[in-house]
Amino acid sequence: MPEPLLDLANIDKSYGGNPVLRRVSMDLLPGEVHCLVGENGAGKSTFIKILSGAVRPDGGTLRLAGGSYSSLSPQESMRLGVSTIYQDIELIESLTVADNIFLGHELPAGIPGTVNIREQERRAGALLDMLRIRLDPGEPVENLSTAQKQNLQIAKAMHGEARILVMDEPTVSLGVDEKKALMRLVRELRAKGLGIIYISHFLEEVFDIGDRITILKDGEKVGTYDVAAMTADKVTRLMVGRDASQFFSRERSTVGETRFEVSGLSCEGVEDVSFSVARGEVFGFGGLVGSGRTELAEALFGARKRLAGTIILDGEKLAPASPLEALRDGVCLLTEDRKRLALFMNRPLSENVTVAHNELFGGALLSFALERAQVADMLAQLKIVAAGTDIDAASLSGGNQQKVAVARWLLCRSEVLIFDEPTKGVDIGAKAEIYRLMTDLAAAGRCVIMISSDMPELIAMSDRIGVMRGGRLAGILPGAKAREEELIRMFMG
Amino acid sequence: MKTMTRRKGRTFYKQQWFILMVVIVAMAAATGIANPKFFSVRNLVNILEQISTLGLVASGATVLMISGNFDISVGSTIGLSACAMAMLMKRDVAEPLAVAAGLGVAILCCLFIGANSLLFKAPSFIISLACVGIYRGIALALTGGTIQTIYGKFEYLGSTRYCGVLPLLFIVSLVGYLAVHFILARTRLGRRVYAIGSNRNAAFLSGIAINRNLMTFFLINGILVGAAAALLLSRVGAVQPATGAGMELRAMGAVVIGGAPMTGGKGNILGTFTGVLLMGVISNVLNMLQVSPYFQDITFGLLIIVSLAISAMSQKWQK
Ligand SMILES: Nc1ncnc2c1ncn2[C@@H]1O[C@H](COP(=O)(O)OP(=O)(O)OP(=O)(O)O)[C@@H](O)[C@H]1O
Ligand SMILES: [Mg+2]
Repeated sequence: MPEPLLDLANIDKSYGGNPVLRRVSMDLLPGEVHCLVGENGAGKSTFIKILSGAVRPDGGTLRLAGGSYSSLSPQESMRLGVSTIYQDIELIESLTVADNIFLGHELPAGIPGTVNIREQERRAGALLDMLRIRLDPGEPVENLSTAQKQNLQIAKAMHGEARILVMDEPTVSLGVDEKKALMRLVRELRAKGLGIIYISHFLEEVFDIGDRITILKDGEKVGTYDVAAMTADKVTRLMVGRDASQFFSRERSTVGETRFEVSGLSCEGVEDVSFSVARGEVFGFGGLVGSGRTELAEALFGARKRLAGTIILDGEKLAPASPLEALRDGVCLLTEDRKRLALFMNRPLSENVTVAHNELFGGALLSFALERAQVADMLAQLKIVAAGTDIDAASLSGGNQQKVAVARWLLCRSEVLIFDEPTKGVDIGAKAEIYRLMTDLAAAGRCVIMISSDMPELIAMSDRIGVMRGGRLAGILPGAKAREEELIRMFMG
Repeated sequence: MKTMTRRKGRTFYKQQWFILMVVIVAMAAATGIANPKFFSVRNLVNILEQISTLGLVASGATVLMISGNFDISVGSTIGLSACAMAMLMKRDVAEPLAVAAGLGVAILCCLFIGANSLLFKAPSFIISLACVGIYRGIALALTGGTIQTIYGKFEYLGSTRYCGVLPLLFIVSLVGYLAVHFILARTRLGRRVYAIGSNRNAAFLSGIAINRNLMTFFLINGILVGAAAALLLSRVGAVQPATGAGMELRAMGAVVIGGAPMTGGKGNILGTFTGVLLMGVISNVLNMLQVSPYFQDITFGLLIIVSLAISAMSQKWQK
């Protein structure tokens, strides 16, 4: 066996008396993809943040690059060849793609203290080409979509001499195409002898590229296994602690009359889209990232100016000019970018859950008893793991943050629920829970519109699938008969 | 992992206001030993009176800063509003009417900043920076730059002391604190203050009407600033356009000392209250110890830095 690149031994960490990691150990060989899996809040991100220097462990040792450390600073970690892609996007919006890639080690120009922008953009372009990422190096990051930002994070991590690459849920906001490109990239890097720690809630990815797999549960290590010797069912069982089906199959209720009708809708990024959703229907939207799905959702929610088209709910014409009006009309939207567009990171979990409900139904005075009941109900329904209801959203794990965002809209009793990537970063068990909630909403006669880049999810959940391409609706397929290959062909056009 | 609903707030002794209280008590004790006059009723009443105006202004600044806004023209606004009140009183306008007019001026001044900041999508910090000169200029033009003395009118507010120890001024400022506390902690409006300050985009997408609410925050600030101008006028009996200068920095300083970050979304009135109290006590202590006024400015500056250091440390502990 080759010498390990990395050996993390008996790592301990707790927050305010709540243990998050208990004596967790893991090693990493060169030329290996070591997957880290576990439920939301199991401690995966915390574990890799200890390696990247973002979090100080309470105990344990980190052995890498010939040294032994009890904790690392982010600079030390980078110097020792660890490059990390965090779950949340950490980019500087006002800088360009190239500037972000070279952030912290800018290329000097002639005059000391100045930056050679042209050379940076040239090299950034070469790196992006090598990674097969289609991005303009001179583009400001604020103009990029979430998936493009995710790609940029990867490019940024690849720049420099990394020997250990850590990826925390890198595929959550990627489309099919980009996902494939990423998998190919990971394989190439492995072939070059890098060690890769890969965190994902998608087991098919784990089985696709993983060599070994370490399972965490409640902050403790269940074990490390060879991927070849495991099955998806076994992993699920070890992770969740019970048998759980990985593929949700939805009981389809009969759909009723048309309730929600959109015709000829245009806005910036979307042209002439018409579709309708019937009582009890889940209408899915598929397409490549950037095909105009999110823009369409925002236009329906009054968050983006509509240029043409009508929206009808139960025979009444809607023309929401703001999200508040849309909510009053009975339309809500779960946004895709939870950190930037959904959560109040430095406010308590409870406020994050109740904010929209308060706007819609609350009086001038807050009712704390009602809030407590609502929040407790949502914590239980969505199995949100948190040390308390008054802890800040920022200290929740990524998947639990997503559940908080979902909870906010479940409280609002809207007739039309638009979910943009509802299960982003959510674990297998909680995914099933969200699917069940969506099914229940539909069964209760609501209209559910789901945008998803996750193929199995799109096919399993949708009664019909609208395919968006280049801002237009390219076609509508019945969900039950849709095949992945056929959909991808339609996505590409 | 099981879901827990157990409430586990930050233990009180780690919170900024508690640390400040300890500092205040320790400082008072030390000064009292050096100069027993510190604990005389007269001196304590004096402190309470001196911090009343600042208390109201800082309460308004608390609302604005939590919502991610700043009004650095409040000093000028106080000057303008107090001058307006004084000029009307000098012309024998009934006191309540004059105060109402001055209050209206202060409210308009604050709303003007909010409206411009919304209209031109500019940070209120910059707009209010521009307004510092505008409001002071208006006050100068109105008064011709002269001091406005009201000779014994409108004394009731400034001179009343219940049982000889409880100044009415302080009670008014206490009402200001309590009102803001009530708004922040118990009302939907308060939640909007925090939500907009924490993440404006998310607030908008959660159905919060941003424009209307921001104008309401500026309105609240205007009322408090106008009230502060009235207190000041009644206590001093004479004002000039420069009255109130520097108040904005001390008010914002008190909010920051109280633990609210400049980035918004966090903070509470208890922190601001202790921040104001600390400033009042330090100022008084420095006077008692006959420190030169120059050093007082230095001390306040350092105090703000030290309190920022405290918040930074306590955040690091949590990591
Ligand atoms: N700064 C913090 N303060 C308090 N608790 C924290 C903090 N950061 C993380 N936690 C807690 O630690 C636990 C583990 O979080 P972590 O982010 O490591 O989970 P994860 O396995 O990455 O989950 P996910 O799959 O949802 O991303 C969670 O219960 C979380 O609430
Ligand atoms: Mg995580």
